Amino acid sequence: MTRNAELVPPSPRAMRLGLVMSFLLMLFALGVFILSLEAVRTPNDDGYRVDVTASGCEPNRLEVPAGQRTFTVVNRSDRAIEWEIVDGVMVLAERENIAPGLRQPLTATLKAGDYAMTCGLLSNPHGTLHVVAGESDAETPALSTTAFVGPLAEYRVYTTLQLRKLHRSAAELRDAIAAGDLEAAQQAYRDARRVDLHLAMPIGLFSDLDQRLNAHAADFEQRENDPAFVGFQRLAGGLFEQQSTAGLNGAAEQLVADVDTLTARLKSASIPPAQLADGSARILETWLDHHRDDDAIGQHDLADLVALTEGADKIVSLLSPLLESQSPATLHTLEANLAALQRDLQADADSSASRSAADDADLLQATRALARSLTGINPALTLEG
Amino acid sequence: MKTIIPKTWLAAGALGLVSSTMTLTTTAHADVAPAALVGPVADYKLYVLDNLEQLVSHTEDFTAAVQAGDVDKAQALYAPTRVYYERIEPIAELFADLDASIDAREDDYEKGVEDPDFTGFHRLEYALFHDNSTQGMETYALGLMDDVNDLDGRVQDLTFPPQTVVGGAAALMEEVAATKVSGEEDRYSRTDLWDFQGNVDGAREIFDLFKPLAAKEDADFVARVQDNFDDVEATLADYRLDADDPNAGFESYDKVSDADRRALTGPVTVLAEDLSTLRGVLGLN
Repeated sequence: MTRNAELVPPSPRAMRLGLVMSFLLMLFALGVFILSLEAVRTPNDDGYRVDVTASGCEPNRLEVPAGQRTFTVVNRSDRAIEWEIVDGVMVLAERENIAPGLRQPLTATLKAGDYAMTCGLLSNPHGTLHVVAGESDAETPALSTTAFVGPLAEYRVYTTLQLRKLHRSAAELRDAIAAGDLEAAQQAYRDARRVDLHLAMPIGLFSDLDQRLNAHAADFEQRENDPAFVGFQRLAGGLFEQQSTAGLNGAAEQLVADVDTLTARLKSASIPPAQLADGSARILETWLDHHRDDDAIGQHDLADLVALTEGADKIVSLLSPLLESQSPATLHTLEANLAALQRDLQADADSSASRSAADDADLLQATRALARSLTGINPALTLEG
Repeated sequence: MKTIIPKTWLAAGALGLVSSTMTLTTTAHADVAPAALVGPVADYKLYVLDNLEQLVSHTEDFTAAVQAGDVDKAQALYAPTRVYYERIEPIAELFADLDASIDAREDDYEKGVEDPDFTGFHRLEYALFHDNSTQGMETYALGLMDDVNDLDGRVQDLTFPPQTVVGGAAALMEEVAATKVSGEEDRYSRTDLWDFQGNVDGAREIFDLFKPLAAKEDADFVARVQDNFDDVEATLADYRLDADDPNAGFESYDKVSDADRRALTGPVTVLAEDLSTLRGVLGLN
């Protein structure tokens, strides 16, 4: 091209032609764009299509059968969007940064119920996703091998945090005993004992530690005077029955050392999934074993049962999502029995009257019922111990 | 929040496509025993809880400064407070309502800054850095504090879904690709690099926790991801105000050269793509 030619203005005719051409080109581009959107509806695609416009979802209400479903989200607005399926406030599945004009598939496994869809701007109205129970619900799919990873990890977090507390209280207990401060030692004992029982299930996995921490005097040849008798029961005898810190230094030191050992062992231990339910049932049964005779349930026994029930509550909350899908009836009984025992214990805590034999019988029965329904969990989840 | 990408960032759109096809090709044939995932998932929750504790205490100081009308102090505390949220975003954003009220940006609302529902960090950012004022911000400060406390309580009670934890590494790097490299997250404070580092920290934590398991499946993958993390962090380190003190923070994002923005784009994009395969590698699809 010469310099001269550059300076020549295009003729009006050429300008018009250029305009027409660029207009045609734009139409063509638009056509391609529309075709690309249409492509979503090809029979190969079984998914549900949702268009997100500047003002919301189209359609704004979708109904799909339960199970694994694929959605195709088409962004028809002029900015990048996200699209989410929200259950209450929890995001179940989402696709982010869908650029204008693009579409993205999203696959989610949905249970029957009503969900919300976020549709682009947060100020846009939410859409409704209605999931109806389908035939696929008739047969419950087996739990996947990874189904227990979440509950076991959460239980590990729980034990780690409880162990940190136990460390603190055990050290306070040792220091208070060393200082001869009975009141502080009693308080530290109560705090430490409560956590000890929250951890009763994992502690029960190590029989030597369990014995050193939790064995009763009756388990030893020379009972209270047996040199091997240490741990919580030994400390309780001194602090509450004899109302004295005298002679407890050794047992308190041992307790701190045992908590350290426990921490180290739990760090490398992996708790088998079946232990969550079976182990919790077992510790309640152990408590019941100490109340087979007609002895009245004392203050300490009651406090122990409160703490054991708190530990069981955690297990129930971890396993309930799995039970809900595998055996809702088992979950229902379990929750009812847990609630009944908690009510009984709360009533005791609220009442200033001394306990009657009938109260004790009620409490034993409620505890037995909870232990039984905990034992029912693994069969319902087809887990073998 | 990670809703908006600039129109120029075409790769981000492609990113989603890449990750979706990758999940298809890497099916769950991994040999990782599910029991081996328990420890790392638990450790990740402990990491999140530690960061939440920091978020709560920093938000207390930040919102107190806003309520006291101390603009300078509030400006100084804005970025160091957000870091803890940015690190734990894969979990925080599971709660749609709180993610919106804590971290949404004006672009998420039709009426933008004027929208009455626009609250949280970025509403305060606008007041502090655009208006240079705390006027009328007391309610927003109180609301942010309430929301952060609410988040803390909910996360404590949450059983972390393993898929979300492992997928969180990629989610964080996609977030970086989509909103941090462009510099639009903190457009008034220009503290984007703080958030950038927060997202990278959070992604790296997840990667580090699962690295021993992933290395058994694919050692090359682990080496590649590690290199890319190192590249990103090296570039970020050039913009630290004090090389020896991470708390000193970063230069304004305006100071980041175009060459460095481009240099960050490469490894960030590759990291997002690579990390999106981590779930498949660990048998969690």
